[in-house]
Amino acid sequence: MTPRDVTNPASPNLLEDVFDYDGVPKILFDGPIVEVIDGKQVTFDPAERKTRDLVITDTTFRDGQQARRPYTAAQIVELYRMLSRLGGPAGVIRQSEFFLYSRKDREAVDRCLALGLAYPEITGWIRADKGDFKLVKNIGLKETGMLTSSSDYHIYHKMKTDRRAALEKYLAVVEAAIEAGVRPRCHLEDVTRADLDGFVLPFVQHLARIAEQAPEPLRPKVRLCDTMGFGVSYPGAALPRSVPKLVYKIVHEGGIPSERLEWHGHNDFHKAHVNGATCWLYGCDAVNTTLVGYGERTGNPPLEGAVFEYIGLRGNPCGIDTTVLTEIAAYLQDACGMQIPPNQPFLGRNFNTTRAGIHADGLSSDERIYNIFNTEKLLNRSPGIIINDKSGIDGVALWVNHYLGLRGPDRIGKIKLARIGRWIVDQYEKHGRITSISDEEMLDLIREHLPEQLEAARARRTV
Amino acid sequence: MGEQPDVGQTVRRIVSEILERPLEEIQDHHAFVEDLDAESIQSVELMAAFEEAFGIELDEEEAMAVKTVGAAIEFIRRCIREQKP
Repeated sequence: MTPRDVTNPASPNLLEDVFDYDGVPKILFDGPIVEVIDGKQVTFDPAERKTRDLVITDTTFRDGQQARRPYTAAQIVELYRMLSRLGGPAGVIRQSEFFLYSRKDREAVDRCLALGLAYPEITGWIRADKGDFKLVKNIGLKETGMLTSSSDYHIYHKMKTDRRAALEKYLAVVEAAIEAGVRPRCHLEDVTRADLDGFVLPFVQHLARIAEQAPEPLRPKVRLCDTMGFGVSYPGAALPRSVPKLVYKIVHEGGIPSERLEWHGHNDFHKAHVNGATCWLYGCDAVNTTLVGYGERTGNPPLEGAVFEYIGLRGNPCGIDTTVLTEIAAYLQDACGMQIPPNQPFLGRNFNTTRAGIHADGLSSDERIYNIFNTEKLLNRSPGIIINDKSGIDGVALWVNHYLGLRGPDRIGKIKLARIGRWIVDQYEKHGRITSISDEEMLDLIREHLPEQLEAARARRTV
Repeated sequence: MGEQPDVGQTVRRIVSEILERPLEEIQDHHAFVEDLDAESIQSVELMAAFEEAFGIELDEEEAMAVKTVGAAIEFIRRCIREQKP
């Protein structure tokens, strides 16, 4: 063990090359990652992520609608418009997937197409049924996803068929799509529970051969669907659950290039987000997501999480306007009736709010101590405080000064807040209260004990 | 200077009231937290009461660093001298 001694620099080392407060914390790598695949060492270079066209794709209006009450066509149009602004001119949010089966579904697609936005490109979702291509073609979409279930659970027990018959059916539909001028995107349902060598690889090799004969815009894409959330990202994990090895095999043995590969995960084991990001690193360019992670059962990778992961991995915003996320959260709650969990990262009401007095003390002296990044700049949301029995006088001071818009030497000190602090303490100690102090109650206390300061703040228009 | 002899008595009275201790028990060497069980909010209330009683403004950082009754008396005397020469 090399002896180490504490260094004592004249100024603090805040590691700002990684934690630049005005940006998203960077995710840096020291060097290549090595996996053992089929007994051979395979090297993955994380630096490669910056040379590939990594993208986020969206399925808020398909998988996302399978987990909540449907959006109206007008709501879809508004959300689609905001997704476009969020993803920026480079189209980081590259595609959005839509149902096509109902009149409302098709109306939403029509209205979104009519906006003429470059991104997200609108794609469809259909069953692997030749007849369904009419829907796609008639509405004018260039790409559609289709179910091509890959595990024996689905092939034998759900579809009541066998592998050979399933393969022939899938390939026939793929050929029909190309013939109709629509790019097929094969959704390999349940791929993390499938026989890779006995079915998945033979199928995607067929797709690769078909692609060789097709013009680029029609070459089949492959979506790896971790339908039950079984995928794991750990280095050294074995197939069929290893996400890195699955991606590698599909690219290198299946012949599907990174740019035609997409990951669609589920969150049954709390791994949806990390598995998606892992795919980016190991050779899959697109990660499929939904707003707030709403999706079948436990949901999909949350789009907002993918946005920040993307920026962290890329090292710059790439044209993404993260402040749109706050508009989206407000719209989902106010217009769509969605109840976003208060602690939902980036979107929840309390995601950058503290209740603990000791954290409030840190926040009030330097918000970088307990705020992940400059949330005011990146999300139009400054850090907040909720007052309860744990807040202490430091929390009260932070709330009051934040509300009145007072900073630095203008802040009201704790001594001047003693009466407000006493009232709050008594709520819990004398009256047995178990709920937080509401904003309205805090405002009443300010009116009573700090009327001049409130008036001054109103004059400054900071409240 | 005429008010200075009352500072000690006033401080001890305020400490007695806010910390709910008999006045005769309050000693100058008593530490607010360790000996008199002052809670966080009570420490702030003490400082607020001192400001009101003596008509002075206390520097928050300095005030919160005061640990004993005797130190509080000295600190307040100094503030009175500085603010009411």
